[in-house]
Amino acid sequence: MKKTAVKIMLAAGLLASATLVGTQAQQNSPSKYCAAGNTVKFAGISWESGQFITEVLRNILEKGYGCKTEVIIGSTTVTETALINGDLHVWAEEWEGFNDIVIKGVKDGKAKLVGKILQGGTVEGWFVPRYLVEGDSARGIKALAPDLKSVSDLAKYKDLFKDDENPNMSRLLGCVSGWVCDKTNDGKLTAYKLNSMYQQFRPGSQAALDASVASAFQQGKPILFYYWAPTSLLGKYDVIQLKEPKYNAKCYELEKANDPKACASATPSATLRINLNADFAKSDAALTRFFGKTSFSLNQLQKAILRISEDKISASDAAMDFLKNQKATWSKWVPAGVAQKLEASMMK
Amino acid sequence: MFLNLSITDPINNFVTWLVSHYGEFFHGITLFLLHYFLIPLELALRWIPPWAVLIALGLLGFHATKRFLPTFLFVACAYLIGCFGLWDKLMLTLALMMVSTFLCVLIGIPLGILTSKSNRLRSIVLPVLDVMQTMPGFVYLIPVLMLFNLGKVPAIFATIIYALPPLIRLTDLGIRQVDADTKEAAAAFGTSPWQMLIGVELPLARPSIMAGINQTIMMALAMVVVASMIGARGLGEDVLEGINTLNVGKGSQAGIAVVILAIIIDRISQAYGMEARQRRLLNGKR
Repeated sequence: MKKTAVKIMLAAGLLASATLVGTQAQQNSPSKYCAAGNTVKFAGISWESGQFITEVLRNILEKGYGCKTEVIIGSTTVTETALINGDLHVWAEEWEGFNDIVIKGVKDGKAKLVGKILQGGTVEGWFVPRYLVEGDSARGIKALAPDLKSVSDLAKYKDLFKDDENPNMSRLLGCVSGWVCDKTNDGKLTAYKLNSMYQQFRPGSQAALDASVASAFQQGKPILFYYWAPTSLLGKYDVIQLKEPKYNAKCYELEKANDPKACASATPSATLRINLNADFAKSDAALTRFFGKTSFSLNQLQKAILRISEDKISASDAAMDFLKNQKATWSKWVPAGVAQKLEASMMK
Repeated sequence: MFLNLSITDPINNFVTWLVSHYGEFFHGITLFLLHYFLIPLELALRWIPPWAVLIALGLLGFHATKRFLPTFLFVACAYLIGCFGLWDKLMLTLALMMVSTFLCVLIGIPLGILTSKSNRLRSIVLPVLDVMQTMPGFVYLIPVLMLFNLGKVPAIFATIIYALPPLIRLTDLGIRQVDADTKEAAAAFGTSPWQMLIGVELPLARPSIMAGINQTIMMALAMVVVASMIGARGLGEDVLEGINTLNVGKGSQAGIAVVILAIIIDRISQAYGMEARQRRLLNGKR
């Protein structure tokens, strides 16, 4: 009897001290939001770079700022809506101007985009395998399209990309239905005067797009596809991006609307930002300042993506690797006190 | 406590090997299905003027149900889909569903007959059917897609995998449930096994087989959205786009069109199954 009572008291004591330690760490937190004992909720992102950035931010928040964090998974539409409604706080890799829900959320003052997390911005366009242009003697693949360098050469090589379901047309493996690039690709086909020969084929999901690209590469077959970087797929396969006419703001707007009078323009480099729930951002200046300073190089992101997709390590491990080896980068994002605490926690 | 086992790499390597060595062969199957079945059917369905399709639907509906009100509702609902501006996509979905169902019947009924004759075959087939019905779609969709190229053909295969089991199960059940006395009586007249099958078992199992076909069609329609995730065009495309852009209205509109199509086909095919049952009742009374 007595023993159990002692045990219970001991357990209670331990629990109390544990919570005490917890709250002390939180009370000392430079973040007002975390000091109040709240949990910062991140949106779970399905692609590798997004997962990596999310984990880097979470580790810094947990170990440097003493925050509690949580990741909630869901499709992009679901998590973006939840962020605007205040159920989630941080969306770690937001492509500015790409998601209608976010554009509206920012306009209504419910979401706030901060920082420029990728130096130099993103790459987006149409790609073909390198073996198609240069051949690959090791695999016994002949160069079927030696002069294919820019989108204006596509007319000459249209027979290579024949669409099985519509043999009179050639296929541009395009964009997932409902994404912004869907209309833009159609607009570009018009603007580049290819729409009588090529049609965009919508793969329906990113998994399907990736699988068809992988399948073509494994068989050494010709394929013309839309893609973007930073992504694991472009890190893994050797591709050539077709040259497009220079970016022209007015023409690009027409392409984006799939206007029949669209004129030729490449896709501008997009800015990657962190999307914060506006109330959350307002309530916590310290964390918002940190998110605003976060910035990676394309090389850092591609490396992390390749480690996740090829070496099959978890995004969280890739993030720890980054924090251990790239102090020069991340120490610029946080105050000295936070950096010290973060470093001390990794020494343990 | 657990042994460290993983079948990840062998499976990955197998798929890669299959794709790089037999890709050409599977591509041939794709082209065959596309050029001899799907594309002609699609062209025909889209070429026939909508009013002719509506009239045909009315005639078929009346022939099946022998009643005016349901027939009128079928035509009115199909007309409504046209009003939504989804007629063309409806025809694409219908073509996909018809080819899938045709292939399901072609495979399912013979297989169902064989399993009803052999207990050993049945004990092999049933677990396979369980796998087909419960394995999450995307697990086999991606390799199927890599083999058959993106688009309608992998969608047909995925639909067959998902929609075939009920037809096999119900054909098997229907034949096994044929009255033993009836069979004995037929055997007493010296029927050959083939005559027994064609003249006795299949007609008596018809309600069950029709129910199987009905279920197959329903499940094929349920796969419409998944099919559009691997690039098959049709009503699923609109549902998917609605989901991706939070356009609930657009998604619902296409969703309702799928439901209407399903109900019309369900009622018509059930009416044909029912007719057989009623006819048997009448025969019994005589």
